[in-house]
Amino acid sequence: MLDSAMAALASLADPSLLLMLLIGTVAGLVMGLIPGLGGTGAVAILLPITFGMEPPQALALLIGALAVVHTSDTVSAVLLGAPGSASASVTMLDGYAMAKQGKAARALTLAFLSSMAGGIIGAIGLTLAIPLARPLVLSFASPELFMLTVLGVALAAVLSRGNIIKGVSAGLLGLVLGMVGTSPTTAEERFTFGSLFLGDGLSLVAVALGIFGLAEIASRASQRRGQKENITLGGGWGQGIREWLSHWTQVIRGALIGIWAGVLPGVGATAGTWLAYGQAVATAKDKRKFGKGDPRGIVGPESANNSVEAGDLIPTLLFGIPGGVPSAMLLGMLLTYGIQPGPSIITEHLDLMYLIVWSFAIASILGALFCFLSVKQLAKLTKVPFAVLAAGLVAVMLLGSFQEGGQLGDLWVMIILGVFGWLLKSTGFPRAPFLIGFVLAIPLERYYFLTDSLYNGLDWMARPGVLVFLAILVLPILWAFIKFIRARRNTNLDDGHRNERPEDDESPLKNSVWSLTAAGIFAVAFAAALISSASFSPEARLVPQLVSIGGLVFSGILLFTEIRTRVRARTASTGWTLDAGFAMKTFLWMTAFLALTAAFGYLIAVTVFIPAFLLIVARARLKVAIIYTAALYIVLLALPSLLPIDLPQGWLNTLV
Amino acid sequence: MTSQKSALEPPLGLDDTAASELPEPPQHSRRTVLGAVASFAVLGLATTVLGEGLLNPPSSTEDGNFSGETLEFLIPLASGGGTDTWARFIGTELTNYIPGRPGFAPVNEPGGEGISGTNKFARSATTDGTEILVGTASTVVPWVLGRSAVKYSFEDLKPVVVNGTGGVIYARTEAGVNGIGDLVNRDKPLEFGGISATGLDITTLVAFDLLEADVTSTFGFEGRGPVNLALQRGEIDLDYQTTSAYGSAVEGIAKEGKATVLMSFGQLDGSGEVVRDPNFPEVPTVAEAYEQLHGKKPSGEKFEAYKTLLGLTYTYQKGLWVPQETADKAVTLLRESSEKLGADKEFQTKAAKVLGGYPLVADADMADRVRDAYTVSSSVRSYVKELLESKYNIHVE
Repeated sequence: MLDSAMAALASLADPSLLLMLLIGTVAGLVMGLIPGLGGTGAVAILLPITFGMEPPQALALLIGALAVVHTSDTVSAVLLGAPGSASASVTMLDGYAMAKQGKAARALTLAFLSSMAGGIIGAIGLTLAIPLARPLVLSFASPELFMLTVLGVALAAVLSRGNIIKGVSAGLLGLVLGMVGTSPTTAEERFTFGSLFLGDGLSLVAVALGIFGLAEIASRASQRRGQKENITLGGGWGQGIREWLSHWTQVIRGALIGIWAGVLPGVGATAGTWLAYGQAVATAKDKRKFGKGDPRGIVGPESANNSVEAGDLIPTLLFGIPGGVPSAMLLGMLLTYGIQPGPSIITEHLDLMYLIVWSFAIASILGALFCFLSVKQLAKLTKVPFAVLAAGLVAVMLLGSFQEGGQLGDLWVMIILGVFGWLLKSTGFPRAPFLIGFVLAIPLERYYFLTDSLYNGLDWMARPGVLVFLAILVLPILWAFIKFIRARRNTNLDDGHRNERPEDDESPLKNSVWSLTAAGIFAVAFAAALISSASFSPEARLVPQLVSIGGLVFSGILLFTEIRTRVRARTASTGWTLDAGFAMKTFLWMTAFLALTAAFGYLIAVTVFIPAFLLIVARARLKVAIIYTAALYIVLLALPSLLPIDLPQGWLNTLV
Repeated sequence: MTSQKSALEPPLGLDDTAASELPEPPQHSRRTVLGAVASFAVLGLATTVLGEGLLNPPSSTEDGNFSGETLEFLIPLASGGGTDTWARFIGTELTNYIPGRPGFAPVNEPGGEGISGTNKFARSATTDGTEILVGTASTVVPWVLGRSAVKYSFEDLKPVVVNGTGGVIYARTEAGVNGIGDLVNRDKPLEFGGISATGLDITTLVAFDLLEADVTSTFGFEGRGPVNLALQRGEIDLDYQTTSAYGSAVEGIAKEGKATVLMSFGQLDGSGEVVRDPNFPEVPTVAEAYEQLHGKKPSGEKFEAYKTLLGLTYTYQKGLWVPQETADKAVTLLRESSEKLGADKEFQTKAAKVLGGYPLVADADMADRVRDAYTVSSSVRSYVKELLESKYNIHVE
């Protein structure tokens, strides 16, 4: 075994192999930087190049890209609040908060180091897991997978301390949104209103980029001025590394959770990263700083989100069951070389397995190194006035989100969810539970029904794995309850008042017409879901109904508190603030951009939107606006022939 | 757009850190904005209008030569799946065999489980042979079921090349299945794990109905891989796998004695009869299994439906199609190039795994055989719909 491992390492000294690994790594980093493309984009670009290569070269190229996509997708999440991929939205929670405190470089340093460690631990895990993978995968039956999804959703409540009701409401609404499309059990269409587009469900990229990315742009596009002062690097690299080392247990825990989430088919990177975050919060003694720039909130998830990719390779190679689109493409490539995935791959292609492991580890190191070296340069991005960045970001994010499904409808969904995300953000609703609910909706329902129909009665509840999950779920609730009772006895301020603290400047529109509207939207959405699910078949309507009834209860409480505060306050509460007006106008700009795209195609929309936005909203200098637009124009012209990127076509394009 | 300018005053007192920031930049004059935006708009418009003509000159594909052309494959499913891999592989190889070596541009148009993209192709594909549709079971089955979302018909398309696949039905030995005889007269019915009754599973469901096997079904699995794992865990008893997954999913556990291979779907021969699958020469077909269970050859509407579905979802499952109106010369050129490709020994070794051991079929009679296979009688349609409604409570709209 060691022999083949060393032989594989030696083969990587071959310059052509090393070159491929390097190209793959750089491609992966670049694709990770662009919001919306991610691993799928990276592999899709590299795949056609591999036709005609030898298997080792091709593998080095693809693995190099896969290993580092989640290293660089953090950059835009931390610096701009626009996650490069759905899973980076978890790192964003604390990373972006740190960046706003002027500690962008520190946050990035922590993230890159963790990504690297996650990748290396993932590669080691990949090696060790080979003999363990089969029992591990087989021990996770439908009941355990069901409990795992329940745990993911329940973490939403744990993680929104202080505003549990808002967190749970957001999580439940995410679940409802995730159920739009074809039901996993009866294959009937739900909440689609007869639309074929909605029949596939909403695109994860569009939802994540809308709810986080566009919402962030809208709330910050009013910033026309750059920061005058230099951004503090937060003590330089040495301190960054030392700080990171002090969180080493978080790194390892995160990586292990990531591998595990990757090994289980159907969990995926977003949920895995989220579980790592939940774990970090749940086990921390002092939880107050989470969401406000706690390094532990960066380290664990970032490490997990890289090791997920390594974990994902295990079922892909050993069972031929890919966990995501990138690994599905990798699988396809292996097949074209006549390499049959399956348990026999260990005996027949051990050298290739080790090549994959080494490539993954080396690419992780290279990727983190490249990113690490550019931290200073990257952090300078925060000096550019946000409004100037916003113009390009809107264009890039819409283009990125278009690539997944190639449908303009996804972009409309993105803008609508952008408005909703902005409302949630401004009125103090946590958005991560919403995204996690969206991701886990279908798995939750799928595994519930599989469990229900494959096991007699409640027999499944007695399975050891299920009992473990039940304990994880129930014990903290009991503990919190006991603490609550004690706190009551002492009649001190309890957690319930936390959300009224003035320090919370993140949500300026709390207790205003806006939060009342938000609560109203929640209630209406749940009521509508409940009513329209009445027409589904009994199997297809059970879960949506349960979720919407729960949602109605929680949003009812919300609505009640909102109305009560308004009645009590009497004083005029915050109404149409300047910020709100500016955000709404920014959304109008985005809508206009999309309308232009639909009419005249993407190229014309960009050449109109970018200069107009830069000059009118950002008030950038004329020279900047011209160079900016010209550069984007040239990139857009070159892009489709260099990369497999499609520009959205408009009505005009069908004429010419 | 410029009229909004005055309304876009910066929110004052936005943050308290204003002191550390640069002063607010001044507004631009209306003329500057209009001028800049207008000139870029003209640039964009010019590129869109002229670029389209320059980049995609009108084609000439009837001169026995595709040089300077680009073959666009419309893949109606997301990238990464089996059909996508198949199409990209075939496309890359095929373009080398077409005179003039055209470029190759795979276009994924996912949506509606393959229906949206295929609808689009049926509506707007050019008829010069440069736009090619990739057909697969996901788009064939809803067409057979007559779903209202389907706006295409394979009767309006011409096949260029088809490629089949096969599959086996196998069971968990521990559930008490050692042979075909254990499918009937059971105390406890066998549990079949499926994805969706209105997908590729339909052929297996019809086979069970034909055999009168004691089977109950649970749908909702994510894919065939997870079903295979569920069988290994003992959650379900019956599963099927296609030929390309047989090696990784079934062969090993069958050798260990954990699973028993019961039957193969078989293949349709030139005269439309069910014959043994060349990849599973030792395994009896569904038709043979029927004979073994019931002592007579299968016949009647159920068997007709089985044969139709076998042809559509296995023997002629994947294919490249062009619109019916495509000029014959262009279609013939494409078909003959595919035939040459399929006959190439080097390609055959390279393609063994991707094609799962089934040849590319592009001979001159292929179109007629495919035409027969893709003609679905109304009795078959109504039987399948009836089966879904009565047994699985699914109403196809």
